[in-house]
Amino acid sequence: MFPVFKSQWRKDKRKPLMVILFLIGSIALTLIFTSSNMVPQTTIAIFSSEANSDEVVDKWEPLLNGNESFNFVKTDEETARTDVAEGKRDVAINLMENDYRVITAYDIPTLPLIDQYVQKVFIEEAQIEAAAGSQGIDQIRNDVESYLENPPFQIQTKSLSGGEVSNYDMGIQLLFGFTLFMAMFTIGFKVNGVLSDKVSGVWNRMILSPVSKTGMYTGHLLYSFVIGFVQIAVVLVIFQYVMNYDLGNNFAILLVIAAIYALSIVSMAMLITGFVKTPEQFYMIYPSVVPIIPVISGVYMPPGTISNTVLLFIADLFPLTHAMEAMIDVAFYHQGWNEVALPMVLMLLIGVICMGVGINLVERRKN
Amino acid sequence: MIETVKLSKTYKGKKAVDEIDIYLDEGESVGLLGPNGAGKSTTISIISSLLKPTSGDVKLDGKSTIKNPAEIRKVLGVVPQEIALYEELSAYENLKFFGEIYKVKKNVLEQRIQDVLDMVGLTERQKELVKTFSGGMKRRVNIAAALLHNPKILILDEPTVGIDPQSRNHILETVRKLNEENGTTILYTSHYMEEVEQLCKRVYIMDHGKVVASGSKAELLSILSSEDTIQVNLSETSDGLIEKIQSIEHIRRVDETSEGIRIISKKGTNILGDLVRAAESEGIQLTNYQMETPSLEDVFLHLTGRTLRD
Repeated sequence: MFPVFKSQWRKDKRKPLMVILFLIGSIALTLIFTSSNMVPQTTIAIFSSEANSDEVVDKWEPLLNGNESFNFVKTDEETARTDVAEGKRDVAINLMENDYRVITAYDIPTLPLIDQYVQKVFIEEAQIEAAAGSQGIDQIRNDVESYLENPPFQIQTKSLSGGEVSNYDMGIQLLFGFTLFMAMFTIGFKVNGVLSDKVSGVWNRMILSPVSKTGMYTGHLLYSFVIGFVQIAVVLVIFQYVMNYDLGNNFAILLVIAAIYALSIVSMAMLITGFVKTPEQFYMIYPSVVPIIPVISGVYMPPGTISNTVLLFIADLFPLTHAMEAMIDVAFYHQGWNEVALPMVLMLLIGVICMGVGINLVERRKN
Repeated sequence: MIETVKLSKTYKGKKAVDEIDIYLDEGESVGLLGPNGAGKSTTISIISSLLKPTSGDVKLDGKSTIKNPAEIRKVLGVVPQEIALYEELSAYENLKFFGEIYKVKKNVLEQRIQDVLDMVGLTERQKELVKTFSGGMKRRVNIAAALLHNPKILILDEPTVGIDPQSRNHILETVRKLNEENGTTILYTSHYMEEVEQLCKRVYIMDHGKVVASGSKAELLSILSSEDTIQVNLSETSDGLIEKIQSIEHIRRVDETSEGIRIISKKGTNILGDLVRAAESEGIQLTNYQMETPSLEDVFLHLTGRTLRD
């Protein structure tokens, strides 16, 4: 087993570019997709057709711009209408003294959100004006704001375990997603070494040597596992200890999950190896299949986005879904061994089945 | 030492190897000759225990190696037809790897690596990557990798395919030394007749999965003792001329060559006059007429009806 392991290591030591590229890729993708603001601000043109249009727009503009998601920009009526008509902007709003009209060319998904927000601003303002009566409206507004800072009824939220509710960080989800995704490529391409050896004839030479079949497979697969696991571990260590991302308080469990995941991906790659004849076929099929897995597993989307039961069932067949679930549980909800045992067991189960079928197919093909 | 007993291998209903009986005595150098697709590689794959036969047996010192392949693997070195090496590693690293999988002891391995590198003439270039080597050099490393554990029997499957004459000579010389100086038993497969003639004391000729003839070179040539081979150079050839020559009495076979025709006729018959008349009647000029000493190639042609490179 060890000579096989060492020979693979010697090859990579001489040509480490692929492993390094995938490692850098994991870090770069995470940084690119998490450093930028993931929720882009929607810019909405506002104007007024009233006689005192400037006065109306000046009144509503500061009140409307109190939300991070929307940016209301003063625009002249003609430009606003033309931009919407030409598709340069999705929405414009025609403001009136106490009312508004939404102008859009088509039914966009965010329209109800925009309408709901603007309506809320108008209703609040109407309530403040009604309450103000003969008093100055600014006085009432200040009173309401200071009252809301210390309201008589306060909602306190606790997590299921009684602690503070964790903030869901999409950036960390993406970090896990990209890291595990990239490791799939590294591991797969290393497992492909089995096929390369078979095609080159090195495999037959090993069969004739005193090395057992188990030793031959173990040498290759153990090496693929180690390279994949080290890649994941290095990325996680860099983000946790160098870039100070908060990956929870149980880094050891994260590493164990990464190890079990790497093992199950080795098995999955072995299964695909069983279906192809040459390394070239593997290079064609594996990279075509792998990118679909994180999409089905919902790795790039907020939790709960995928609700289709068929897709959820398919996602459960891949180790990535279970690894993501376990890592998120550990990082966000500070779950322990017992809570992440199920996804870990499922990954092991997938690993055992894929490895069994994969090796069987490879051996049958030989005969 | 090794013998096969009615060895057969069938792939999808087609017999690749058909009841072959061959044997190798200790220290012998035996050639397995045949064109591409004759079944040579399948035969040696079965002998070296990489393939299981459909029927028949392979025996090493009287014991079946099909039931217990470990015994033959200990004493066997196989040089496959393909370059079975890690091209991304150096010659030295490759040999170290193969030495390690053969469990050659650490203190012995370094010396063995240098010995086999010296044998194949690559000591100076051992640190260079195999992928930078020429085809001939790769084939020499391919042979060296099979010698690290000092095998008693060496099977070489077409080890000189597609290489330059210099490397080919080096390989042939290495194999000759292994046999004559080390006493290694050699089974050498090739479709190059001259290599087998040069290296092997005995030859098996295979075609369509069967052994069609066997024996020493002299024994095989005696098959043609009743025939003459004549090379006739012509200004041109035509189907009409070949038909006319074929109809001449005592002529057994006519084949077109690049320079004219090759004729196999009954030994001792004079056909020159008939040949000249046939050529004249077709308006073709006969430029040369030469009796050839029969070679193994002629034996092969006689037995199979085709040339080795067909």
